[in-house]
Amino acid sequence: MQDSTFNELADLALRLTGQHFAPSKSYLMEARLSHISRRESFATLDDLVHCLKARPNPRFDQEVAAALTSKRTQFFREREQLEQIVSHALPQRLKLSKNGRLRVWCAGASTGQDAWSLAMRLFEEVGSPLASADIEIVGTDVSTDCIETAGRGTYGHFEVQKGLSIHRLMTNFTRENSGDWTVSENLRGSVQFRRHNLLHPAQDLGAFDLIVCTHVISGLALSAQREVLTNLSRQLLPGGFLFAAPSERIEGIVDTLKPSREMRGAFERDTTQQGIVAA
Amino acid sequence: MKHCLIVDDSRVVRTVAGRIVKDLSFTVSEAAHGAEALEICRKDMPDAILLDWNMPVMNGLDFLRALRREERGKEPIVVFCTNENDPEHISEAIRAGANEYIMKPFDADIVESKFSEVGLV
Repeated sequence: MQDSTFNELADLALRLTGQHFAPSKSYLMEARLSHISRRESFATLDDLVHCLKARPNPRFDQEVAAALTSKRTQFFREREQLEQIVSHALPQRLKLSKNGRLRVWCAGASTGQDAWSLAMRLFEEVGSPLASADIEIVGTDVSTDCIETAGRGTYGHFEVQKGLSIHRLMTNFTRENSGDWTVSENLRGSVQFRRHNLLHPAQDLGAFDLIVCTHVISGLALSAQREVLTNLSRQLLPGGFLFAAPSERIEGIVDTLKPSREMRGAFERDTTQQGIVAA
Repeated sequence: MKHCLIVDDSRVVRTVAGRIVKDLSFTVSEAAHGAEALEICRKDMPDAILLDWNMPVMNGLDFLRALRREERGKEPIVVFCTNENDPEHISEAIRAGANEYIMKPFDADIVESKFSEVGLV
């Protein structure tokens, strides 16, 4: 890949999805764009970038930028955090709910494993107050391909064996003739997936009690981190929680979120700050 | 160190699985079928057993049922590791006392994930 090609793609990723690519990560670009290159019969990424410049097409720009985002995920990836959500954050929010309804946004949901993991874990809450709550999970991602995969809920042999116990697999999936496994109908009522770019305001999605945005913020340029966190905090109901991965350092990037005293990796909306209006 | 017994009639699978399990800090012993595995268990009950289904002499399911009837036979964590990937086989294995189930083909991440699910790592 020529330096100019790397620069063009890095600029496109920064502009459209806020991602930061260091030159040492050019191999990631090659890997993540390989399927588009093959499909469009580009011999090299240099050819792909040449096409982007010669025939401007905003939709193709978006597709390329979305393809450059990380898709790495697995079921029950942040297990301790999930337990905090189920045992502490959601029950706390439920106590404050007047109608027993809670809304959770899995922001940057990739192919859906985080959202389905939460749905599975909630399904196991037999006999707890959460069992009778009406909990809606909305998963979003900038990639149309990812959202389609997440919505289908069909995963391959290797994907369902990483992070999922055999008990959870058997309880929550059905096996297809192809050997893939598909999320069962009993989980589908509570989960929906929509395409959304986190750099854009999210009023259309409504307000949420909880936002789970793990392994997303740390891959963004600082300016994009501010923008995304501001957009997320605007959709957080007063007293609601934002969860990032515990390994991500987002404290202090925006004034509108303050670290939770009780839960690691969790942030609360700071209601003393101006400019936050949940839809 | 914990001891893992790998039971599979394929030498290649035993070797590959053995390397993976050693990397997870287990000592490893091997058996090529259920009857051989049962003898090893009677002498030195392992902490974990990675168990194939289809083998000569004694298959994995018969071995597991026999193991669970042994005096200390409920102690080992048994993880099936087999080409039998349909829900009926999986259910049958769980009813017989399997703690986890790996569907072949597998890689190191799957073994580690499954061992983690049952508290072995």
